[in-house]
Amino acid sequence: MTLAEVQTSAPAIPASALYQSLLRHDAPFILDVRNPDDFARWRIEGRAGLVVENVPYYDFIEDEEAATARIPAGRAVLVVCAKEGSSQYVAELLRERGIEASYLEGGILSWGNLYDRRDIVRAPWGRIIQIARPARGDVSFVIASDGAAAVIDPLRHTAPYRVAMAEAGARLTHIFDTHVHADHISGGPALSHESGAPYFVHPYDAIHPIDMLPATIAYTPLDDGQVFRVGQVELRAIWYPGHTLGQVNFLAVAPDGSRYLFTGDGIFLRSFGRPDLGGKGEAWTPLLYESMTRRLPPHLTDETVILPAHFSTLDEADAAGRVGATWGVVRRNNESLAHLASAEAFSTFVLGNLPEFPPQYVEIKRVNIGLRNPTEAEAEELELGKNVCALAQ
Amino acid sequence: MEPTYHQTLDVKGAKCPMPLVKSRKAIGELPVGHILRVIATDRGSVADFQGWVKAAKNVELVAQETTAESGQELYVHYLRRTA
Repeated sequence: MTLAEVQTSAPAIPASALYQSLLRHDAPFILDVRNPDDFARWRIEGRAGLVVENVPYYDFIEDEEAATARIPAGRAVLVVCAKEGSSQYVAELLRERGIEASYLEGGILSWGNLYDRRDIVRAPWGRIIQIARPARGDVSFVIASDGAAAVIDPLRHTAPYRVAMAEAGARLTHIFDTHVHADHISGGPALSHESGAPYFVHPYDAIHPIDMLPATIAYTPLDDGQVFRVGQVELRAIWYPGHTLGQVNFLAVAPDGSRYLFTGDGIFLRSFGRPDLGGKGEAWTPLLYESMTRRLPPHLTDETVILPAHFSTLDEADAAGRVGATWGVVRRNNESLAHLASAEAFSTFVLGNLPEFPPQYVEIKRVNIGLRNPTEAEAEELELGKNVCALAQ
Repeated sequence: MEPTYHQTLDVKGAKCPMPLVKSRKAIGELPVGHILRVIATDRGSVADFQGWVKAAKNVELVAQETTAESGQELYVHYLRRTA
């Protein structure tokens, strides 16, 4: 091997192929060769039982023998690093020792930026398309019907939505955020700027909850109960304060009577959105209780498909990668919903199970209402890692 | 104040893992006690060198500093061979 550059015969595995194997739960042994701090901050996660080992690449440089001994014998190995150089280097060392090693193309950076697109439903009246960033556990949707399209909770990069809408032969007419997000930068304002379609957000979320400063972005205020039409689909906004003051759920009703509830950071498949990311957890928890026990139930049927904006673990995705389930299934399987007997019990449960508050979430909310305008590199840094919008399980 | 050093390794433009691979080699060719100055443009080298010296048998990280050269960030590492 020359010192000028890494040359490797190891195959490059694209992030999309890695994702397929994570969904199938047949991924090779994942060897992450970044430094332990970076690994602790953020790593590849899959279904329960996936093993990811961290052996920094410099351990191979220091003592190749000892580092190699930490890899289980007889397994194919996928080597992962930040951008890909070190993983090529280590994969080549392993191949020289007869180990079947490949590397993640573009490193964990490309995994973080992978967008995955799947149909939730494809019917004569139209389609609901799921667009996810699996590494972050972020999920968004396109509703396309009769040549019109609405986007719900679009993520930062707008190209995947343009591609999905072009493929569905639909023109963007409505852009919705269920709420102003704290964990990721919304693609809503950029999509609105590109297309001219209005960007809807509830006015209560257009004020930064900690700075108490108003939005500078262009948006159209949403009302509780407001009804939109996207082709043949009727879409109703249901005010659902708690995670934020202005969070809404969107109920889509198709002409065949099927119902889809876009819950944003309301109800997740295995948890629900935490009420403290505005810095007012104790004050907002009773609002969340009201939303969960009073505001939302009249709109729910057991057949309504729950489509949330996040997952916390890949086990929430089905074999086809869809993050959705009927309310009948969710209300039975989501154990966090077992604490709704009284407002007091709910508050005790919620406030006792709040995960860490990522400090960058305050800044991301600023970005999302136009109070900050980060560079691409700063945006990447702000969005590093997986969302922590759910209550701890 | 920049530490004294005996030799300089310029790895500007080299991407991970090369700054570290070349530093490892250069340290091995240095007399014990001497200090190598490594000039890199790879930002990841800062954390990686810190991790590396914890695992390395005969290398000490004396100092790290960030400077700029015609608008480009430079990450400078001072490494002492200890054995």
